[in-house]
Amino acid sequence: MTDTRFARMKDLPSTHWLGAGTPMCAGCGGLQALHQIYDILGNKTVFVNAAGCMTLLSIYPFTPFRGSWLYTAMGSAPAGAQGIRDALDILLEQKHIPPEEDLTTVVLSGDGSAYGMGVSATSGAIDRGLDFLYICYDNEGYGNTGQQFSAGAKTSTSKGPRGYPGYKKDLFALWAANKPAYVATVIGAEPLDLARKIEKATQLKGSRLIIALSPCPTGWDFDPKESTEIGRLAVKTGVWPLKEYQDGRVSHTKIPKERLPVEDYLKVQGRFAHLFEPVRNEAMLAEIQQRIDDYWADVV
Amino acid sequence: MFNIRFHGRGGQGIKTAGRLLGTAFFLEGYEVQDAPRYGAERRGAPMSAYVRADRKPINARGIITHPDLVVVDDSLIPVPAAGVLAGIRPDTVLLIASHEDDAVWRSRLNLKSPILTIKPSEGADPASVSAACAGASARLTGVIRKENLIEALEDELGKLGPALLKANLDTVLQGFESMSAHQGLVRQSEAIALIDYQKPEWINLPLEASELASATIQGAQTSVQVRTGLWRTQRPVVHYEDCHRCWWVCSSFCPDSAISVNEEGFPVIDYEHCKGCMICVAQCPSHAIVAIPESEAQRLERQGEQR
Ligand SMILES: Cc1ncc(C[n+]2csc(CCOP(=O)(O)OP(=O)(O)O)c2C)c(N)n1
Ligand code: SF4
Ligand SMILES: [Mg+2]
Repeated sequence: MTDTRFARMKDLPSTHWLGAGTPMCAGCGGLQALHQIYDILGNKTVFVNAAGCMTLLSIYPFTPFRGSWLYTAMGSAPAGAQGIRDALDILLEQKHIPPEEDLTTVVLSGDGSAYGMGVSATSGAIDRGLDFLYICYDNEGYGNTGQQFSAGAKTSTSKGPRGYPGYKKDLFALWAANKPAYVATVIGAEPLDLARKIEKATQLKGSRLIIALSPCPTGWDFDPKESTEIGRLAVKTGVWPLKEYQDGRVSHTKIPKERLPVEDYLKVQGRFAHLFEPVRNEAMLAEIQQRIDDYWADVV
Repeated sequence: MFNIRFHGRGGQGIKTAGRLLGTAFFLEGYEVQDAPRYGAERRGAPMSAYVRADRKPINARGIITHPDLVVVDDSLIPVPAAGVLAGIRPDTVLLIASHEDDAVWRSRLNLKSPILTIKPSEGADPASVSAACAGASARLTGVIRKENLIEALEDELGKLGPALLKANLDTVLQGFESMSAHQGLVRQSEAIALIDYQKPEWINLPLEASELASATIQGAQTSVQVRTGLWRTQRPVVHYEDCHRCWWVCSSFCPDSAISVNEEGFPVIDYEHCKGCMICVAQCPSHAIVAIPESEAQRLERQGEQR
């Protein structure tokens, strides 16, 4: 990270490009990440948005964006991005627009699309080497429809006595295995790390993915003001490793010196209450901790 | 027919309060409609819920334009977009959840309508205030018996476990008892006959060429016209004397781009749009941003204007 314009917190953007007045929930961690990302990407972008909470950002006649935005079905945002990219390329080739008016094609989707319904279209886009940036705000469930579990759900998330019994799919690895231009995980609670990664992603061409873990007060069940603290705990407990993939290598950008017990992250969210009440589920807590420890044992 | 309209904020249990009242009516043998209404907005945004109940089949549909009872959280009364007083008659009962007394609201609103208040206990969770309102409105109709109110509550909240049910039961019954002196105050009104029906105020769009008529947004950042500041029940206030101008903390963390940085490097909060999530209050390293109740902040503002 030598040639970054984001050396210190002071270098973060102090003017904000994303408009206020959106219908996202108060304290939405997804919107927090998106506004930080948009401050760096700017308005020379076309957003292709798969159905989810964030499709509510642009409801006629209101939009927070300064550039273009298009809505697609849950499974097809990368296909929509292909169409936009092709159209831009034709316009450039036929000299209908000068090169400086070219736009970055950005897919914006939730985890429901990115980890599940949209994987087929994503796979096609990577196969074709589509030049686009995929931003997934990952709130670990179908937020827009009431937080049912998605393929991006964390252990034991969805409501009910035992929660969702599976484990989160590794979207980072799924992308990285196909050697795209760039893959990174970010979180709004670590804005400097986020800024550097978005800066890097904008300098590259080809298929690029940014996964932003997005604390969701409504779906995860916590007080909106805790949103950023919970995001920070996700990093400090090692639940959400901040990392990037480039040129065949994965590197971790923020390794927690002493990882906090995962419990610190779980117990502050209503969605995990079944792990603590009516009695502590020691076996399950130990299993979750073990998985995190195993992950980090491989890192160093 | 009873026409009852609830006004509250998303996530504060207004939808459940309407549902509870509807179910209690149903158990009394009424025909019932209960429906919440909200747009794409989420937690904190003004929303409403409607309950119709009649002994005869109900043919009316849609929103209630002429309510017999309006139940409202007091923070919404001054909000024009919430339409709290729309279509009320001199005999429409107003039940206001407020820390202030009936008399204050009577003089403030200067309406012929009977006005009653229900006082939330100090620091009460908004959902419990909604539950008390459901109990109070049941009593005001004069036709719902306590046992049916209890059964309705068991139907609606039983699945959430005994502790929560018990807590809500107490609150609902407190609300019910608090209105014993006003039992039956709400007057039923006749369903509107077809000839008296007035079309809602919608906008007719003439048929235009598709590039004009399609829902394409041509402007940038038009969302700023939506005043999400109305969602707020708590207001973050910057104490500039304590602020160390590390604006990148509050200004980056505010999800809504509602904190800008002025020329001297101080953060400035845009109250037209701040939704009151209080992330800035929680994150400010020097504790220079404090939360005060929005109602208190508005009262201080009014005082400042008068001076
Ligand atoms: C094919 C399809 N199935 C179901 C839906 C209904 N639906 C709309 S938004 C949504 C949730 C999307 O979840 P995610 O992508 O994680 O975004 P979030 O809502 O969490 O922002 C669902 C299931 C849909 N629009 N299309
Ligand atoms: S449901 Fe969650 S992700 Fe969706 S807008 Fe609300 S806080 Fe954001
Ligand atoms: Mg989601």
